[in-house]
Amino acid sequence: MTRYLQMNAKSLLTNPYILFWSILFIEFWVLMWAYIFGNYIPQVEEAVRIYTATAYGNLLMLSLSGASVTIASSLLYSSKSIRYVTKYTKLSPSRFLLENLASSLIALLAISAVMFISVTGVFFARFGLVIMPVDTIGLSFSIFLSTLFIYALSLFLDFLIVILRAPKSASFISFLPLILAFTAYASLWVDIKNAVYFSPFNCIVSVCYYYFSGQIPPTGNFLIQGEKILVNVGLAMASLVAWSLLLMILDVILLKKMRGVGVEEIRTT
Amino acid sequence: MIVSRDLYVTYGRSQEPVLKGVNGTFENKFLILGPNGSGKTTFFRAICALINIASGEIMVDGKNIEDLYATAGVLSTNFQEVYTLLGSNVYDLVRLYTDLSDGDPEFAFNMIKDLGLTLEFLRKRKLSELSSGQSKIVCTALALAMKARHVLLDEPFEELDPAKKGKMVKHLSEYDGVILVNTHETWLLKNLRNWGVFFMFEGVLYGPLLVEELLNAEISLADEADSLLRLSVSDKTVNIIRGKGKGTLLTSLENLDRIYQLAEGD
Repeated sequence: MTRYLQMNAKSLLTNPYILFWSILFIEFWVLMWAYIFGNYIPQVEEAVRIYTATAYGNLLMLSLSGASVTIASSLLYSSKSIRYVTKYTKLSPSRFLLENLASSLIALLAISAVMFISVTGVFFARFGLVIMPVDTIGLSFSIFLSTLFIYALSLFLDFLIVILRAPKSASFISFLPLILAFTAYASLWVDIKNAVYFSPFNCIVSVCYYYFSGQIPPTGNFLIQGEKILVNVGLAMASLVAWSLLLMILDVILLKKMRGVGVEEIRTT
Repeated sequence: MIVSRDLYVTYGRSQEPVLKGVNGTFENKFLILGPNGSGKTTFFRAICALINIASGEIMVDGKNIEDLYATAGVLSTNFQEVYTLLGSNVYDLVRLYTDLSDGDPEFAFNMIKDLGLTLEFLRKRKLSELSSGQSKIVCTALALAMKARHVLLDEPFEELDPAKKGKMVKHLSEYDGVILVNTHETWLLKNLRNWGVFFMFEGVLYGPLLVEELLNAEISLADEADSLLRLSVSDKTVNIIRGKGKGTLLTSLENLDRIYQLAEGD
């Protein structure tokens, strides 16, 4: 491994934009879940567990999507450098992706851990119960897979901007993961049925819910009472794996094709 | 060795080519002299594979640049845009890039200190927070510290005071490898006498000549049978001729932007 991995991880962990969009901004929603959305939840362990699982899955999805906005922006602004270093230094395109992925995963996993501590802590304060995941290993794997998907998506959107020569749309496209995450949020009140398997954001919620609570998640209407269609968790996991692999393959291909875009071409307002 | 064969570069589909059939072989140290907007920087960006080539090819040590990946020690440059991989301070940036290229960070730090910047200053500033002259010093030092066989330096003397220019010349002269320097400043001819020279005007490369041939050369609009070079400038032919007192001494021009005024007859 080169010095890049270590330095990039440090850079991401101390980036104020990541800290804001993936932690501080989401803390608002943690409090909303605990004190507004959860008003009707009885203080019974099973009910609180299911509610916490729902909250953690959705908040994790939003948090990682928030982080991806900054990861995507920073990669776009350094696209010329990426092009140059992958040609004229030891970092080949695949090695760059590997080290960038590893350092980004370190940051995203740290953020996931902070969110976990935040949710369990705030929910303990609200409900008086410490809720721990039923399957820690399964949840850890789900979080890892979720961070992998978010990273691959950020990279893909960046490379697309460069190759399509559309730097002026950089701001909008960089925020696309967060926009899509909030769109997926709608499943809290709407049953999206089989569409859940096509939406990797909803798949993140489903697998985290399952391993946190031990219960099979519904395809939607999380916060609505009544009969619900249940998710095939294996299929949701497979969908997330497929999306991640597809995007990573596209990332390697697009990395070799792109020439980078100058900072002066990227509209900042 | 860098070889450019019939290179065309355009920005946008319907625009006039910025580089028009550039042919050149670069094996030693060369100046590429040309006015602003002549295509020098575009040419360097093409060699670095930072822009698309419309047609033609560029070879470095016999390999097409499109096929080069993970080739540390082959090529380096002082374009600031290639040193934005991380938003860290300059000190860490130097350590990162020299690590990635198996270069020599102490060489970079010593050269930067020689050109008037302290390590303390570098630890407290990001590259984007430096003035253009300071940034040029850092990026040029980095380019040389990466110990590449081919170094492309785009206007390395711009924004430097005369004392620093002299030191920069010394560092470039001592470097062991192929160096191409883009500049529009003709004073360099007196300081780099054992270098070669190409000229670039309106996207066309002319040359090479030796610096020694140009020290007494003159610019003339009159057609001479034994011109060293004939340049096409604003649809006129400008001749570089041996010094006979018939034209304007090349080295008396502060920079080559003035050739346009001469071509208009000013």
